[in-house]
Amino acid sequence: MTLPSLAAPAPRAPRAPLGKPIITVADLRKRYGTLTAVDGVSFEVAEGEVFGILGPNGAGKTTTLEMIEGMRPIDEGQATIDEVDVRADPREVKRRIGIQLQASAFFDELNLRELLHLFGRLYERNVDADALLADVELNEKASSTVKTLSGGQKQRFSIAAALVNDPRVLFLDEPTTGLDPQARRHLWELIRRLRERGHTVILTTHYMEEAEELCDRVAIMDRGRIVALDTPQALIDALVERGFRKQRVERLANLEDVFIDLTGHDLREDE
Amino acid sequence: MPIRIGLFWALFVASVKMFVRNRVALFFSLFLPLVIMVIFGVLNFGSGTTVTLGVVDEARSDASTTLLSALRGIDSFEITEGSHDEEIAQLEQGHRAVVLTIPAGYELRPGGAQLLAETSTAQAQQAQIGALLLNQAVSQAMFGQAGGGTTPPVRVEQVNARDLGYIDFLVPGVLGLTIMNLGLFGVAFGFVQLKRTGTLRRLFATPTPPAYFLGAQVASRLVLGLIQVLILLLIGIAFGLHLIGSVALILLVALLGAVIFLAMGFAIAGWAKNEDQAAPVANLVSLPMLFLSGTFFSRDAMPDVLASITSYLPLTYLNDALRRIANDGAGLGDLGGDLLGMAAWAIVAFLIAVRLFSWE
Repeated sequence: MTLPSLAAPAPRAPRAPLGKPIITVADLRKRYGTLTAVDGVSFEVAEGEVFGILGPNGAGKTTTLEMIEGMRPIDEGQATIDEVDVRADPREVKRRIGIQLQASAFFDELNLRELLHLFGRLYERNVDADALLADVELNEKASSTVKTLSGGQKQRFSIAAALVNDPRVLFLDEPTTGLDPQARRHLWELIRRLRERGHTVILTTHYMEEAEELCDRVAIMDRGRIVALDTPQALIDALVERGFRKQRVERLANLEDVFIDLTGHDLREDE
Repeated sequence: MPIRIGLFWALFVASVKMFVRNRVALFFSLFLPLVIMVIFGVLNFGSGTTVTLGVVDEARSDASTTLLSALRGIDSFEITEGSHDEEIAQLEQGHRAVVLTIPAGYELRPGGAQLLAETSTAQAQQAQIGALLLNQAVSQAMFGQAGGGTTPPVRVEQVNARDLGYIDFLVPGVLGLTIMNLGLFGVAFGFVQLKRTGTLRRLFATPTPPAYFLGAQVASRLVLGLIQVLILLLIGIAFGLHLIGSVALILLVALLGAVIFLAMGFAIAGWAKNEDQAAPVANLVSLPMLFLSGTFFSRDAMPDVLASITSYLPLTYLNDALRRIANDGAGLGDLGGDLLGMAAWAIVAFLIAVRLFSWE
């Protein structure tokens, strides 16, 4: 693959105006018996955008993602990725996207390099595994197995595996859940670099500051529906406009800032 | 859709690598059968006190009937009846320790014609015990008590037989067991783990159809199973196995057996959500066969009803076919019943697997 290196973080580019949509979702529905897990979800994602889906557990975030990815049958509605209809050709959709699942494991008996080669073959590509590992700063772990990796390293590897087909759209389902603050910030850097490189990213998260940091736009889901969709700043402005004020005065720093100040940004993965 | 050989090969190679690097799988599939072979071989559990006795009744008289019923009263004898040729053939194959011939016109009285006991050189110990028991039993039948006349009532002659030891019984059984475990445990546990951890789901996030992965897993298990059979045969030969039949035929039968148990393994793996669900079912299927299909011990000693029921078990067919090839040199044509039984099981197991299988 001839890709620009991701090793050096580029300065954050100013947010470009939204381009043409690469993902279109219209009135998506999923029922499990009497439960309607996804109840008429519609949105568009522009090319090059980092799009966040927020919501409490059980809001339907993962089900929505999995339907768009072609991993779960769509009951009603339509989803189009890169001009491919997901319902008509889920296999072609999978060819064009990269998926990091919320709970995905890899074979314990193969090392990282072998795993990336194997995943490349699943797309019928021959990948440069070492270059991909360098992209996610795991080149020194090429001969290790996944079970020996730390939480942050596992998530980074999982992203590398989602990049083997150089996808146009990358789906990340709760990529930073369970990580310590350093590992989380490290992953944020990686996601920003992916955005710089032109990948469209759709991610779900429970962390609001993460959505604020990373996402161009966010959709907030509850009970299977999208209850708000805009840029993080516009959503905040709208709330304030409705007269909302925090009980306590805005502090200049929070405990996480203290933690990062004391322990540094450096990853502690060798421990 | 055209079959993509390169993709299949990559998955096959990965599957083989994973198996070979998995110490637990290696232990259960190669080391454990070896340990069983050594333990059972050294302890020689097969040499029980039963003496297989073939009786050739050429007299067909009251005297011979009386004698036969007296012999049947002795627990240590396992008696079969047949013509002299048949019984001697069985003895030469190693299936009889002693063949007793009651000559025409035989009378049950002291000083009359001697009975002929032909004993197997291969089962010297059992043959010796058998001859002793026969002399005792015949004397007893004559006098109502032990001892008596000067000439022993039974003349003993040795017949050269194929020297089939317990190892010859054991190795085919261990092969059958290994093939069963390969499918039932190797597949059931490995696959359920991939399912539970989400490894399979991750594969389905790629455009490769799941059947490729399944096919590669089956193919790699079959190939590895055949390699295991070859290794165990070599070890068996080192322990004194007499391999009479064709190795190619053993591999063919092993392959058919592997298909049955792989299908069963996938049925269990497809149905179970985790290892805790798979384990009891795998054991429920394998344990009865371990004891009832003639893996370590001959099924001859079983009560008739149990023996006839268990003769339909898949492992019974497999063990029987492997044993007949290895011990008697049976050819493809001689194995009709076993092969038919196995084919029926393969179809049944495959249909169950298709019905129960789910990826999630």
